[in-house]
Amino acid sequence: MKKRVTLTFPKRSIHQPITYRLAKDFNVAANIIRAQVAPNQVGKLVVELSGDIDQLDAAIEWLQEQEIGVSQASREILIDEAVCVHCGLCTGVCPSGALTLAPDTFKLFFARSRCIVCEQCIPTCPLQAISTNL
Amino acid sequence: MRSRKIPHAPPPAVWEPAVTPWPPPQRPMRTLADINAKIRAQTVVVETAEAFKQRAAEVGIAQAYQAVDVVTTGTFEPMESSGAILNLGHTDPPIKIRECYLNGVLAYSGFGAVDLYLGASQPVEIGSSTDAELNREYGGGHVIAALIAGETVHLKAVGHVTDCYPRASFETTITRDTINQFYLFNPRNLYQNFIVGVNGGDRPLATYLGPLQPNLGNAVYAHPGALSPLMNDPDLAVIGIGSRIFLGGGVGYVAWEGTQHFPRQKRLPNDTPIGPAATVALIGDAKTMQAQWVRGCYFRGYGPSLMMGVGVAIPLLNEAIAAHCAVRDDEIVAPVMDFAIPRRVRPTFGLVSYAQLKSGSIVLNGRKVRTAPLASVYLARQVAAELKGWIEAGSFELTEPVMALPRDRAFVPQDLGGMGGV
Repeated sequence: MKKRVTLTFPKRSIHQPITYRLAKDFNVAANIIRAQVAPNQVGKLVVELSGDIDQLDAAIEWLQEQEIGVSQASREILIDEAVCVHCGLCTGVCPSGALTLAPDTFKLFFARSRCIVCEQCIPTCPLQAISTNL
Repeated sequence: MRSRKIPHAPPPAVWEPAVTPWPPPQRPMRTLADINAKIRAQTVVVETAEAFKQRAAEVGIAQAYQAVDVVTTGTFEPMESSGAILNLGHTDPPIKIRECYLNGVLAYSGFGAVDLYLGASQPVEIGSSTDAELNREYGGGHVIAALIAGETVHLKAVGHVTDCYPRASFETTITRDTINQFYLFNPRNLYQNFIVGVNGGDRPLATYLGPLQPNLGNAVYAHPGALSPLMNDPDLAVIGIGSRIFLGGGVGYVAWEGTQHFPRQKRLPNDTPIGPAATVALIGDAKTMQAQWVRGCYFRGYGPSLMMGVGVAIPLLNEAIAAHCAVRDDEIVAPVMDFAIPRRVRPTFGLVSYAQLKSGSIVLNGRKVRTAPLASVYLARQVAAELKGWIEAGSFELTEPVMALPRDRAFVPQDLGGMGGV
């Protein structure tokens, strides 16, 4: 199964090769969606973890033991269907192809699993129909 | 592309269908009176533009023309050259308004005492406001949409005190039901064609087409293509002054030629223009419009605007008119313009077809560039379908224009004149 989590690293933890340990010790693949890591700063990593359900839980437990904050309430893009007019302007700035117009109906389609929450669509929307939940 | 003969005579005062050289004109086989009789009897055959194009591609224009009486077109796109006329009714004691704000948006009041004209692209006045709740991405388009949605709007007016208008100021709230007239008068709508915007520079641009990303990061087109009203009547043969239309979910009319009306734009052999061309001024009672078809919008770094659904029904009076309605997205084009050059005449990357634009990408300089529309094809189709329903139900008859729109207008630039403009 897959789980999208936001990891918060205290300054002292950023030397750890986290994704390597996840793969080696737990057989969990970590797909990095967004990252903000710099020396002597609190780091943030949005990752999609995929693996066996028990091993995923064990991996998350291990991360917490390392004093890494694990939040499963990750930031998500929300589209207000009542406000959206399906103009499609957002599809031109979406780098991951999460926002597309259906080729036949030209209705806006949001593939949540492809979204990297870059938030470029938010200021692009002329109707202010797009927001994040955090 | 062949050159078009431009008639230099003024348009005829009495409306008559334009003589279209291609395909060969035929004797009109239907009159508007025939079609309206069928509408009243609810026996009229109406098709949306897209359905008609498909039919014409399958069975040919002659047969499609025989089968269908009326084709409905539609668009849903930003139309910033739109505005609302409002008459408030008189206060006691009365006021001659000289400055007026609706939800903080300035409305023009240089008319009779309580007449206002609110422009869609007028931004909210921020001034010295420290109100954290103030939505800065707000403007005239939002106020117009709010009134149409039946919402309450705050009004603040300053008057010029005279013997007959002694009141100096006035503050109240209004809805569309507490004012006298509330109608849209839009000086420029329904561009017959438009441009495609790209950014060949190295910094992001905020434009009226939305964000254009550097190094040809995206391309934006703002026109629904072959479904749009004036693309289906490229010579303005049946659309003229007085044509009844679907305007924002209510009934409106073509009032005049639009500003920047440019019918002399170069054209393809199928008579469609290769860039911005004809425009129309539209008028209609906003009290009968519906919120879903009139939406305020805002382009970050550019300003507010109004998105609106407009539909036009084209009576198929002869086969030439039907042939124009059969035009498809792969037969019409728009020019790709580089917005990195901030001049009136921008460099162009050439012409692309609407079929290419709607496919999601075009090729510029040998590179694939993502395209995104700004017109909602999804809602434009709904406009055409809604108008089709009105006509089939017998509630919308077509009108003969009282005068043709001009087919010969120069497009005059404003150059630095003898006064040495700066």
